[in-house]
Amino acid sequence: MDRKLRGRGVAASWYGIARTATIDRAGAWAELDDGGTAKIVTGVTEIGEGILTLLAQVAADELGIKPSQVTIGDNDTARSPEAAHAGATRQTYMIGNSVALASREAKKALFEQIADHWGVEIDTLRSFDGEVWAEGTNLRMSMEEAVATCKARGVVPVGSASFTAHGTGLDPVDGSGSPWQAYVFGTQVAEVEVDTYTGEVQVLGIWAVHDVGRAINPRGVEGQIEGGVVQGLGQALMEDYRTEKGHTTTHGFAKYILPTSLDIPQINCTIVEDPDPLSPLGAKGIGEPALVPTAPAIMNAIYDAIGVRMKSLPATPEKILSALRERGANQESGIRQGGA
Amino acid sequence: MLTCDTYHMPTGLTEALTLWSEAPAGSRLVSGATDILPWAREGRAGDVHLPAMIDVTRVPEMSGYRVEGGRVRLGANTVYQDFLSKDDLRRFLPCMPYCAIWFADDQIREVATLAGNLVNASPVADGTPPVAALNGEVELTRLADGKLARRLVPVGDFILGPGKTDLAEDEIVTAVILDDATGYGGSFQKVGQRRSLVISVACCAALVKTDASGTKFEDLRLALGGVGPRPIRLTEVEEALRGAEISHGAIAKAADLAASKVASRSRKEYRRDVVVGFVRAAIEEALGNQPGAPVEIRGAGETADV
Amino acid sequence: MSKLKIELEVNQRKVVRETEPQKRLLDFLREDLNLTGAKEGCGAGECGTCSVFVDGKLVKSCLMPVAKASGCKVETIEGLAEPGQLTPVQKAFHKTGASQCGYCIPGMVMAATSALRANPDAGIEEIKERLGGNICRCTGYTKIFEAVEMARAVIAGDMAPAELEEDAVGASYIGANVRRLDAPSKVSGRLKYAADMRMPDMLQMQVLRSPHAHAKILSIDTSEAEAMEGVACVITSRDVPGQDGFGVFVHDQPIMARGKVRHVGEAVAAVAAEDLLTARRALSKIRVEYQELPGIFDPQEAMEPGAPVVHDYAPGNVVKHIPVRKGDTAAGFAAADLVLEDDFSTQQVEHAYLEPEAGIAYVDPDDVVVVISPSQNITHHRHMLSHIIDKPINKVRFIMSPVGGGFGGKEDMIYQGMLALAAMKTHRPVQLNFTREESLIASAKRHPSLVHYKMGLTKDGRITAIEFNMLSDGGAYGMSSEGVMRKAAILSCGPYEVENLKVDTTAVYTNNTPSGAFRTFGGMQAQFATESMMDMAAEALGMDPFEIRRVNMMKIGSRTHTQQELTTASLDRVLDAAEKASRWETGAPVSRGSQRGDLGGPDTRAPCTLGARINQPDVAAGKEKVA
Repeated sequence: MDRKLRGRGVAASWYGIARTATIDRAGAWAELDDGGTAKIVTGVTEIGEGILTLLAQVAADELGIKPSQVTIGDNDTARSPEAAHAGATRQTYMIGNSVALASREAKKALFEQIADHWGVEIDTLRSFDGEVWAEGTNLRMSMEEAVATCKARGVVPVGSASFTAHGTGLDPVDGSGSPWQAYVFGTQVAEVEVDTYTGEVQVLGIWAVHDVGRAINPRGVEGQIEGGVVQGLGQALMEDYRTEKGHTTTHGFAKYILPTSLDIPQINCTIVEDPDPLSPLGAKGIGEPALVPTAPAIMNAIYDAIGVRMKSLPATPEKILSALRERGANQESGIRQGGA
Repeated sequence: MLTCDTYHMPTGLTEALTLWSEAPAGSRLVSGATDILPWAREGRAGDVHLPAMIDVTRVPEMSGYRVEGGRVRLGANTVYQDFLSKDDLRRFLPCMPYCAIWFADDQIREVATLAGNLVNASPVADGTPPVAALNGEVELTRLADGKLARRLVPVGDFILGPGKTDLAEDEIVTAVILDDATGYGGSFQKVGQRRSLVISVACCAALVKTDASGTKFEDLRLALGGVGPRPIRLTEVEEALRGAEISHGAIAKAADLAASKVASRSRKEYRRDVVVGFVRAAIEEALGNQPGAPVEIRGAGETADV
Repeated sequence: MSKLKIELEVNQRKVVRETEPQKRLLDFLREDLNLTGAKEGCGAGECGTCSVFVDGKLVKSCLMPVAKASGCKVETIEGLAEPGQLTPVQKAFHKTGASQCGYCIPGMVMAATSALRANPDAGIEEIKERLGGNICRCTGYTKIFEAVEMARAVIAGDMAPAELEEDAVGASYIGANVRRLDAPSKVSGRLKYAADMRMPDMLQMQVLRSPHAHAKILSIDTSEAEAMEGVACVITSRDVPGQDGFGVFVHDQPIMARGKVRHVGEAVAAVAAEDLLTARRALSKIRVEYQELPGIFDPQEAMEPGAPVVHDYAPGNVVKHIPVRKGDTAAGFAAADLVLEDDFSTQQVEHAYLEPEAGIAYVDPDDVVVVISPSQNITHHRHMLSHIIDKPINKVRFIMSPVGGGFGGKEDMIYQGMLALAAMKTHRPVQLNFTREESLIASAKRHPSLVHYKMGLTKDGRITAIEFNMLSDGGAYGMSSEGVMRKAAILSCGPYEVENLKVDTTAVYTNNTPSGAFRTFGGMQAQFATESMMDMAAEALGMDPFEIRRVNMMKIGSRTHTQQELTTASLDRVLDAAEKASRWETGAPVSRGSQRGDLGGPDTRAPCTLGARINQPDVAAGKEKVA
């Protein structure tokens, strides 16, 4: 038999977006500011996922300016509107939509003044990347001028919004209910190589396909998928917080083993866009769902490679070798009939 | 956390030995410091207060390396990164680069010393098997009547058990002395829970030299770590292969013989299984790493005993 | 203790200081020089966040006594580029999105810089090896590898520096790869996380934690600690003025142990002092008298009659049971051609965000109690703290500092209350920075799970019924257990339309480290079992794993396990895309790895064999370009 055997496995998954089995809500304020810039204020943002950049993109796109012109004030219960918490794959969906709606309101306040100033219908006004213009005319000015014009007419262009996701509670007896209004689906394929000398598993490839509704920043989506896959891989193969009579035996990172750069498969992301019909952006989320199918895909791939089903995580080298030994004891003629 | 009253950095061996012999009880010698700081934390020793820490890394007599009479004398301050970055050390000690690449990571290799690794006497230290394979001796120095007194102890005798060595109270490890194995192929096998920065479950070092025809083993050195309190030199396996034809069959037989030597209390079955594969792989990879013409291993691969 | 005088060069400036002899280079840089770009992620040389150059060699500054740097040239992340500038490596990290939470990133940038300085032509295998001492928990490393390869190309002149700039925008900023706005501050080490912040007159807090898993507290004597010079206050649960208790779903956890301790590492008392060392020394002067109680450490035993009770309000130790029922499982199994039954288990998992918990509290001039911390839920924390300290909501203010990784682990208010109490008691700013070890024992983990699974299918692969039973160890406090059980139950049987199902998920109290919120909130544990069962069924029925999933998948109009009608569903497209992208070779999952024709290829990596640099000529002393 060859020392190293390869195999592939697949796993599918699904996930709900935003808080579970309850109404979820998030608020935001927006202001088109001097110089054609903008202020966006909301309650809870970045934990590393890239939401600040995403919100700047959303605000910029809605207002017609550049993301770099957006200043986000955030994360202060005494200075910003409530946006609840950073979790539950809710940031893009809840806060993204809230910022979109607040930005629309601020832009509407501006456009009402500019339409009147130019004597055109408000529906003909457009703005993008720092320019404001009226369709079908040669009327055009910079956003900086537009804001100054608006303010000269006595109006500060501000907006505010609250976005709601309508989940319902579960019936206490049969669990029936509509816990989320948006769902995402995913599928991952894993390719592994198992070292039959040591029981080590190397994951060589992951193909991760996830529906995110709409990818506002595709690179950011990939980053979430890659990070989720590697956390899933860690749980699949090495991470194990252990206690003995309540006392941990994994005190630090010397004992609690995390994936490093040498454990990382090539991760091939495919983004599927099935827009959410119930929200302005159509975007759903990716933070948590990215992790769900990784471990089962790896376990299914291990089975494909060596014919051993790992039902208890993590599938450490020792567990794999022990399972192989048991399997060998049951099958006199080595791993697979016909040998290597 | 680790606290101390005084941190000394002597710049000469006599000064270091004097400080060490006069240091208040409970003081510690420091080399790379990569183990002492993690040791003084929750889950291990907890908060530790030391009267004095005596850092020997600026002692010139303990730095550098030289070759004398077929032996390489590595000053105790030789760090793991030297085995990767210094061409002549790679040539003299062909299994050390493979050990070093498995040992911790680049940052730690820059400061962690081979001598410190031996002094810690961990049963799963990566450094002990290759040192055993290279017939390593540890040079211990103390002051006797104001003069330097040295003795040499083979690594197998130096390490007495987990965390226990033959180092006397007033001694400092000043060098590690190894065979010059120029011309040998070297290798190192290790398994842990991942590939970088991990404590091994088991490891194996090999040095192989073929005869001029490249068909027979002229010499072979094998040592295991992690399978007992001390490194195990597989002399019976070496004997069995010395002069033998290079074939998969011979290597597989050697591997089975090695497994019988494994006697670790914990995870014994796993370690025994790993050792069989490790010995095979270590010999084969060492053959592949021998400088010069590639070595052909004859005979079909046999089914591993898994 | 004698002072240590050291002279060195830091970022090309001469530095002469007297400092404490036990300081590590990391402490010296952060505390004495206020260079906080190097972070303390673990304090034990295991994560690389503290990496700096000493005489051109990359080291982990948490493993280096500062005396060792005396006379040396030290280069930190702050010194890589002039203020306002970024090196090609930093720019590439910005371009590719290689920083997420950013906490590991200064160390990672240093390691990448070191790799390219050591070998400007390093291949990807060597780059990966040279980054092997640096842990990143957010990115999955992929964008980091991309960044280092990009920087290598730019430095070598193989790629135009303009490639590192922002891509031009098309017709919309939606769908555009706008570079992260927060990346420049992260790749340059300028962003201040809570542990990096300093306030004038600030005290340092240390926490006395329970050495027992389950014990009655008979008495706590803090007098000796309080009398120590440099100690500003000692707090215990006695100092809580309002209604003590926090938790995401049930407020069962006191700010500090009240009457008894329920897990090892639970906070019992805390000291705020002029400096860290004094606070630590004061901890050893606090006398706590415990009476040990029998503990419960196994979730199955926790449910047995007569088991020790962890919380009086829950005499059966059940935190939450969630049932989901649909159809008639007996009929479903009767209609099945194949019934599979098996057990699955998953382990407790640590979030391992690189930023350990940290925070600062102070009382502002308007008598507002302000807490700055990397909290994932400042909204709820504000509510809970206002009850605990008995102040109106507008007198409690939470500010979320940059979060160095959360993943659900920073939703629990496990230390902010202590900071608030100490700030109120002293009217001085108080800071608490967890050690990694403290973070591991005091913060919640991913729920471990035991799943018993029974699945019935027809010959053509259609699922006729599922029985799914999951038991999870919730540990000593409720935290997010209720929500995790709910989500696990809702998602349990996977993205498949199942007519008949009976699902039960239960979390129980034990005296283990608490389990709580962790990315997927129970969804991963449940679907691991389901997706394993799907492959086992496919093998038994001789079906391709994609095919069996298609036969059962949810579609528009499907009713979910909780009987919600789906108005959108994309699994068909997702499965097709995965099959195509992976070049999947159709066949039943019968352990056919050796016969597959779809293995390998450019979309997989080579196995890691280690030693990429060994068989190359010596490059250590060779060419050096500016990285």
